[in-house]
Amino acid sequence: MIADKPPYLGFGLGLRPQHYREILEGNPDIDWFEIISENYMIEGGQPLHMLDRIRERYPIVMHGVSLSIASTAPLDLEYLFALKELAERVKPKWISDHLCWTGVHGVNLHDLLPVPYTEEALEHVVERVGQVQDFLGRRLTLENVSSYVSFGQSEMTEWEFVSEVARRADCWLLFDVNNVYVSAFNHGFSTDDFLHGVPRDRVVQFHVAGHSHEETHIIDTHDHPVCDEVWDFYREAVAHFGPVSTMIERDDNIPPLAEVVAELDHARAIAREVLGDRAQGRSQLEAAE
Amino acid sequence: MKSLKELQETFQRGILAGDDSILAEINDSDKENRKVLFGVYRNAYVARLAEILGQDYEQVHAYLGDEAFARLATAYIVANPSDQRSARWFGRHLPDFVRSREDYAKHPEVAELAALEKALADAFDAPDAEPLRIDALATVAPEDWAQLVFDPHPTAIRLSFNTNAAEIWSALANETAPPAPKALPEPQPILVWRQEFMSRFRPLSAEEAMMWDEAAKGVRFGVLCEMVATFGGEDDAELRAATYLRGWLDTGMLAGFALEPRQNRNSPR
Repeated sequence: MIADKPPYLGFGLGLRPQHYREILEGNPDIDWFEIISENYMIEGGQPLHMLDRIRERYPIVMHGVSLSIASTAPLDLEYLFALKELAERVKPKWISDHLCWTGVHGVNLHDLLPVPYTEEALEHVVERVGQVQDFLGRRLTLENVSSYVSFGQSEMTEWEFVSEVARRADCWLLFDVNNVYVSAFNHGFSTDDFLHGVPRDRVVQFHVAGHSHEETHIIDTHDHPVCDEVWDFYREAVAHFGPVSTMIERDDNIPPLAEVVAELDHARAIAREVLGDRAQGRSQLEAAE
Repeated sequence: MKSLKELQETFQRGILAGDDSILAEINDSDKENRKVLFGVYRNAYVARLAEILGQDYEQVHAYLGDEAFARLATAYIVANPSDQRSARWFGRHLPDFVRSREDYAKHPEVAELAALEKALADAFDAPDAEPLRIDALATVAPEDWAQLVFDPHPTAIRLSFNTNAAEIWSALANETAPPAPKALPEPQPILVWRQEFMSRFRPLSAEEAMMWDEAAKGVRFGVLCEMVATFGGEDDAELRAATYLRGWLDTGMLAGFALEPRQNRNSPR
């Protein structure tokens, strides 16, 4: 066991403004929430107020989209200060972002862009993760992204690259079940190879989400319910990794809270089938204490 | 082999400028050719930002209709690559962008409609401050009222419109047919601010706008009353000034007050 590994939180959801009221009024059975960090890097108003109220009742995890850890542009210090300031307010259980880049020359393309799996890119990312971890004073959690292209210059597989980043930079991993499924389809690799290729003790979180199938490729859109194939792969991931904090992502066509909670319950049921009592959520864990 | 830096620059040019050099660096998949696959990134960039603009400028979108709004959004996206950590601020130049466009020269209401939507969005997540309540002024002795200075609420934004854009916004927000655009004989002062977590706005009379602008500069209440008298006539000037102030207090447009010493601290000795 690696020191200070984030706790197992059970089954969570992405916090979305459409659900603020229902969460505060209904106290739904959700173990924790993940916020998009950038959406709360603001000065005041309702979003921060709601977040403060919700975090009184639920553990929060911070998930960013603009760290751009693999970019060759200099690290954005203004962004890092804002991230640290938000973390001091929110006191997240962990802070995650994506193993990708979002732009160079001061541009943010607002997309999670793929990295060539080369030794050069590996060394670059590892150095930057180290700098960010030193600045934040805590380990970072990095997520594998969905990708649509592969580079001719890649020297290793994605899982080898992800694993090496985690080992050399000493960071945690967010295993996005849907992204592995999407990239495996797009690039023709086996989801099992990825699953068995990453270090088990580094994985602290799962993402599960829906996508859009375009026949020859799949696009990671987070605008559909989770499909059966991704649930099947989730089942394998749970069997392989054991209890890992699980979260359903929905960013577009956001349905009423009850619908996403039903999907979360599906994840709970799968985990319970595979793991039995080891898959308990936060509420059951607290009741048992 | 391209360095990582060169690869990322080429990739970015492929998205922003439609440059196909990146295709030499990527593979076909066994199911699809590389151009289509890279196209996923190209299309997502424009589609994502256009969607964000549509959300940020909902009433501009409703006013222009899908086709004209899509043309405007695409032109804006091409002219303004995002430099923001959050897409929340991507559209912040849209009012100026519309104002600068020849094709909108005959429709000045569109830039003003955009300016109003931007101000409402800015007020929504501007810094918090407890609104100043009238009770807080109960401790001020009547003879000291002339020395009062006020802090505007930090969410307050002053606009001035030459068209009936505010009326158009209200009609669209209520999902009713907007009035025909028209130029106003006098500029219309508007104040945007946040009350109870909701952004709102209201038109001000020329006199109230004058008093607000001076109050926001830190002018004392006694002097504000004199200015109102000069602006709109001496009869009832104090009552008018007190009525404006009461309105600001009742709707949370102020955040604090101070009592200035009778002798101006900055006056020469």
